[in-house]
Amino acid sequence: MNHATRAAKFVGDADRTTWHDETLWFVRAKRDKAVYAVPEFQDLRELASQIKDHTLSKLDTYLEQFEEQAKRNGVHVHWAADAAEHNAIILDIIRKHNATRVVKSKSMLTEECHLNPHLLSNGIEVVDTDLGERIIQLRDEAPSHLVLPAIHLKKEDVGETFFQHLGTAKGEIDPQVLTEAARQHLRARFLAAEVAISGVNFAVAETGGVVVCTNEGNADLGVNLAHVHIAAMGIEKLIPRLSDLAVFTRLLARSATGQPVTTYTSHYTKPAAGKEMHIVIVDNGRTKQLGRPDFRASLKCIRCGACMNTCPVYRRSGGHSYDFTVPGPIGAILSPNIDMKKHSSLPFASTLCGSCSDVCPVKIDIHTQLYKWRQVLGEANEIPASKKWSMKLMGRLLTSPKVFGVSGKLARQGIKYLPYSLTHARHFNVWAVARELPTPPKQSFREWYQQQAKNPA
Amino acid sequence: MSSSREKILAAARANKPDEKPLPTVPDFGGDDSTERFTQVLTSIGGQVVWIDGPEQLQPVLKQLYPESRLSASPLFSGTVPVDALTSTEVLADVDLAVLPGEIGVAENGCIWLPEANMLHRALPTITQHLVLVLDHRRIVATMHQAYAQLPSTGGYGAFIAGPSKTADIEQSLVIGAHGARSLVVLLY
Amino acid sequence: MKVALFVPCYVDQFYPQVGIASLQLLEKLGVKAEFPAAQTCCGQPLANSGCEKDALPIYRHYVDTFSDYDYVVAPSGSCVYHVRKHFDKLEQTPEVQQVRTSAYDLIDFITTVLGVTEIPGTFPHRVGLHLSCHGQRGLHQANESEMTPVRDGQLRRLLGSLNGIELTELDRNDECCGFGGTFCVSEAAISARMGQDRVADHVRNGTTVLTGGDMSCLMHLEGIVRRRQLPMRVLHAAEILNGTLS
Ligand code: SF4
Repeated sequence: MNHATRAAKFVGDADRTTWHDETLWFVRAKRDKAVYAVPEFQDLRELASQIKDHTLSKLDTYLEQFEEQAKRNGVHVHWAADAAEHNAIILDIIRKHNATRVVKSKSMLTEECHLNPHLLSNGIEVVDTDLGERIIQLRDEAPSHLVLPAIHLKKEDVGETFFQHLGTAKGEIDPQVLTEAARQHLRARFLAAEVAISGVNFAVAETGGVVVCTNEGNADLGVNLAHVHIAAMGIEKLIPRLSDLAVFTRLLARSATGQPVTTYTSHYTKPAAGKEMHIVIVDNGRTKQLGRPDFRASLKCIRCGACMNTCPVYRRSGGHSYDFTVPGPIGAILSPNIDMKKHSSLPFASTLCGSCSDVCPVKIDIHTQLYKWRQVLGEANEIPASKKWSMKLMGRLLTSPKVFGVSGKLARQGIKYLPYSLTHARHFNVWAVARELPTPPKQSFREWYQQQAKNPA
Repeated sequence: MSSSREKILAAARANKPDEKPLPTVPDFGGDDSTERFTQVLTSIGGQVVWIDGPEQLQPVLKQLYPESRLSASPLFSGTVPVDALTSTEVLADVDLAVLPGEIGVAENGCIWLPEANMLHRALPTITQHLVLVLDHRRIVATMHQAYAQLPSTGGYGAFIAGPSKTADIEQSLVIGAHGARSLVVLLY
Repeated sequence: MKVALFVPCYVDQFYPQVGIASLQLLEKLGVKAEFPAAQTCCGQPLANSGCEKDALPIYRHYVDTFSDYDYVVAPSGSCVYHVRKHFDKLEQTPEVQQVRTSAYDLIDFITTVLGVTEIPGTFPHRVGLHLSCHGQRGLHQANESEMTPVRDGQLRRLLGSLNGIELTELDRNDECCGFGGTFCVSEAAISARMGQDRVADHVRNGTTVLTGGDMSCLMHLEGIVRRRQLPMRVLHAAEILNGTLS
């Protein structure tokens, strides 16, 4: 199944699509308001972009510096080449402490590595503590957005899930009440947890510390109560200096939700006395992407989700239509690096309108990369053969002005003389399912021009 | 163990582009007024209350939290003694924590709270209600100026901007997700 | 000044009046543009489908056809954007560089090259402006809502100078219409929905004449307007400007 098929299914529910679109557009509008209020916002984007470019250009050095500092801080540093190794390392740490109760705050990396199923199948109870993540964990679904993981659900859906799993009243759909129920339910998990896993928003090479940004405070609560903290980070999370955080914290929340900053911007540098802190540094395809000059800029992503909120396709097709951990425009340029065949339709799930590139706080040229992935996929024969051949034919046609003139005329006359029932039949013409075809004129421009030239008015 | 480390570093070395410059980040200036700070913090669910000085703390707290039973603070002797070794069970019962903040940031209403001011790392999030006490002269305009004042971030520290919140259910804002249900900043 | 008119294939076949209006409008503004008969296409449909290699001969044909001109003007920002941005795939000979810098969207040409800021004339209608992404975000012909709340741009200003015109204000000033070239058929469901939402915004805000600088988006939107039999005319901006300029 490709993106178009899954998207068609989503958009088939017109009312839900309207709601999804408007809800995310509202987030985009909040982002705009926050962005307009900071006069230097465009300068900050440029700085962030340059800092990330610089870091990637010295990534090996910064990784080493980060590791050295972290070790000096008393942190255990692990390296994982891929998802399997990442999962194995984490399981190993948990086992060493004979722990079975684990809480986890938001981390797209652990999602990418499918850590939860791995831990669960090894007898470890792992509870996602971000409210949205907990909702989808209870429903056994994948997140549909980077920062709003349950945005595909309505409060009725959440109410039903909580009725089933948390014992809230049947039909209870008040977000306030549902959130309070989750607070009580999760508090018990926090208090009991032996190990806390967190993601990482930024890793500072200079200090060896990691920074985690949340609104709910779930990372802090989990990490600071548990005996062991495991922070999982992709190699691209690095930034050189502590002061660079100013640039990124000014951009992140404003871009993501329109808040001036996340409620908690927490800096974990050393373990608390008597406790343990581990950092797992993960590659899982990232160095490969670093080696693709056209696509390496995708590694600058700070996972703000702004490109999703603004994407007119994402808003109407839903996160699950991308069938990849990271949906939306950024997912569409990250996914082919992981599996070109499986995700071959994603770079085509865009009109190339460019809005994603314009909201991106680190100035990733997302829509240009979409265009470039299309070429890579075309070359690798990962686009439908019919498309490929019709394009080849068209290529020939369009280099021959004579044939071009005749065939255009044929097309035009075709529309004119074929019966409406045929030109508008679903199977023959997807255009016409929702749209009228243009009314064919008597004369093409070309014909008019030649006539004019012969008999000037 | 070390083989993945070597592999990743080698691949990063081999695949990285030519070195690009690290920019200098200017101090963009900005509004560092207490009015701006108050306005922004209020807009994100926090509350600002002026006090004459730290000695006025307790009467004001009594007024603000008449029902609070269990409080913890390094600024006065609260009802629950908390230190780095306090057990989870004891921490879980705290309903009011009163902690000294270090730096306030006017552009986003956040306050820097270092580990040294927390009694226990979990206290600021596990307490039901949080009060941060801040010298208004420590308010800066932006995050640039805030980080410029931080020589390091210690073992742990957080910028806290308002009470814990979530909008994960249909984007409707709910205050009081997992951390403190309310945040009051006492400015003096 | 030697100026050529580039007429995209679908305009040639389905909207000759847009080509005619462009030509006449330019003439009224003192520019006699030629229409080189050998022209075909800029190659964008192929390239956007992932077949850039197959498009290279088309690029070359375009270069051969147009490298002699000081300016190549098209009533379509999308083609212009493609020539400027994606002809980087060709070897950068002086001819290639020439066509990449000489390509202009019609409204951009009128505004920047001719320096025209006002068009005399009257158009007493409620006009809704569709900002095409390639013209706006690609060629920076209009402000972007991603950057600034100020709604400004070349076409808005030109149209705004007409007497009696009322420009409608949309809820979403610059959301994509969903045409997207082959996207309109490969993702037909999403494409249609995007178009319907755009049209609904215009209906809500009182547009009776829907216009823009790029006929490809307008073809898509017109298809929806006509299917829904809405009381709304869809015109390329050149038609409006040419009609009011006597
Ligand atoms: S690509 Fe840019 S806009 Fe999209 S999530 Fe990443 S940082 Fe945010």
